[in-house]
Amino acid sequence: MAKKKPAQLGRYKIIGELGRGAMGVVYKGEDPALDRTVALKTIILSEDAAGRSEYHARFFQEAKAAGRLSHPQIITVYDFGEEGEVAYMAMEFLKGTELRTRMKEGTISVPEAVHIAEQVAEGLGYAHEHGVVHRDIKPSNIMLLQHDQVKIMDFGIARMRASDHTKTSTGLVLGTPKYMSPEQVAGSPVDHRSDIFSLGVVLYEMLTHTKLFSGEDTPQIFHNVVNFQPPAPSRVNPEVPPMLDFVVERALKKDPAVRYQDAFELASDLHSALAELVVREAAASEKKGRQIDTTKTMKLDAEALKTALPIPAAGAIGSDTRLPVSRTFDCSDAIGRLTDPGLRDRASLTRAPRPVGFLRSMARDPGRRLLFVAVVAAALVGGAIALV
Amino acid sequence: MKTTNAAATLASVVFLKIQEYARRPVQEQTRLRAQLEAVLAVTLADLPPENRIVLDTADGTAVAILADPEEALRLAERALPAITAGLPLCIGINHGTVQMASGRENGMIGDGIAVAASVAEFASPSRVLISRSFRDALSDITPGVEGAFSPAGTFTDGGLRTHELFFPDRQAAGRRRRRLIALGAAAVIGLVGAGITVRASTGGHQKIFDATMAKLGLSAKERQIYLRGLREKLKF
Repeated sequence: MAKKKPAQLGRYKIIGELGRGAMGVVYKGEDPALDRTVALKTIILSEDAAGRSEYHARFFQEAKAAGRLSHPQIITVYDFGEEGEVAYMAMEFLKGTELRTRMKEGTISVPEAVHIAEQVAEGLGYAHEHGVVHRDIKPSNIMLLQHDQVKIMDFGIARMRASDHTKTSTGLVLGTPKYMSPEQVAGSPVDHRSDIFSLGVVLYEMLTHTKLFSGEDTPQIFHNVVNFQPPAPSRVNPEVPPMLDFVVERALKKDPAVRYQDAFELASDLHSALAELVVREAAASEKKGRQIDTTKTMKLDAEALKTALPIPAAGAIGSDTRLPVSRTFDCSDAIGRLTDPGLRDRASLTRAPRPVGFLRSMARDPGRRLLFVAVVAAALVGGAIALV
Repeated sequence: MKTTNAAATLASVVFLKIQEYARRPVQEQTRLRAQLEAVLAVTLADLPPENRIVLDTADGTAVAILADPEEALRLAERALPAITAGLPLCIGINHGTVQMASGRENGMIGDGIAVAASVAEFASPSRVLISRSFRDALSDITPGVEGAFSPAGTFTDGGLRTHELFFPDRQAAGRRRRRLIALGAAAVIGLVGAGITVRASTGGHQKIFDATMAKLGLSAKERQIYLRGLREKLKF
């Protein structure tokens, strides 16, 4: 990683540092030819020849891939080049807030979360159409701009879909553990459906304000990604409408074959969910407006609200296969029988089926009883004939 | 995961799985879910609330019945006609252990549920499949009812666990009745025949014949005529 800020990269003048990533530094720069501000993503090319050529190839491949994409929801790549030991990529300079920051603040409402996810899905759909898989969709790679616009950033590990069938050439599995798909974790072939899973994780976290796949270390996170079946978002946050449960559930399918096959399809479903939400919000605000007219001003207890917040979704390793009790049907009476059984229930509910013995069979099974009577009668008649 | 202190109990679990649910578009999934809830509302109406726990599954619903296993079968049979209304339900029933789990939210675990899910995996929308343990539970309550089920085969699930499955067969009861009647008739013929054979072997067949004829009150000449007639008939 660069220890000292360079003064210039190619024709771009460096103004300041924007951030540091896994592979390099991102600078704020200025293009004197066009008099515009750009973001310059850099990568230090390795000292050894083999490493250098590999890094070089990967960097320019991703730059070309990203440069082909021109979509309102994808950051625009203007240029790329090489300056000494540093390769760089000049990109659109965005003024906005990272989704990660907004998620930390916990201020994203359900409709806003759906709107963000819908735009990301649109952008991904376009990228996938052009053969580019992002591979690292996560909140820090999603920028929220003015007028509710969203941009996907950093196709940093995006690879040409057609030319990549296994792990990266270095044998590393690239991505951010908490947002990786099960196939990415397993090092299996990864395609555009992996991005759909990652977006599903981001959407889940936005809706529930929880971390979906957490763990003490990377192996534990990987285990959860592969095995943990998360509860429906509406169970964690009751404001989430049921339709979004279906959407999230489908996006988070462990098996890519039953996941959304197309990011546009996901975007379409999110659009429908958003329409439903808008109608619901309108109805709720109308009702609230009426209530305000007839009630006193209320002071909300912040502490009480905090305790009402849902607890983390993936607290433990989740090879959890339990089924949640339906909220549609009231089952409290039956649950009471199981959790606090009376004497009668204790005996009847724990009693295993017994094999049917001869006497019970004779008493309860008319067919067998009839056969038994016929055989006994025939035996008596036969005996009488033989002996009398 | 924590579980409650109550001992594991046995219940019949009806697993209603919507066929190919995960592959359907979300709009259709929403419609099918709503339809399934409507079907359940109707089919559960006859069952007292203290006797059933309805559970949400990824692709349908499971109902744990804390009553007579026959209630589980009745529930499945009432839900099955929903197929004609465009709800492709695959139904599997098992009788096994279930337990309430406590933790983030109420839920239920148990082998009874896991096996019912596996059974439903093998079911087609037109017929209900039951496990052997459920069939045993039914016959424990009503001996002989096992005759109303025909074997569907032995299936191995994803966890390499083998399940012997059966399906309700309306003709199986008739076949069992006919089988019992045939068995009864054979037993009667065999036993009476054995009595006659014993009698003949101890006293000689002529003696038996004579004694029988005497009882019928026939003279020696009449017996000769009767025997001749009998021989002619046999020749014919």
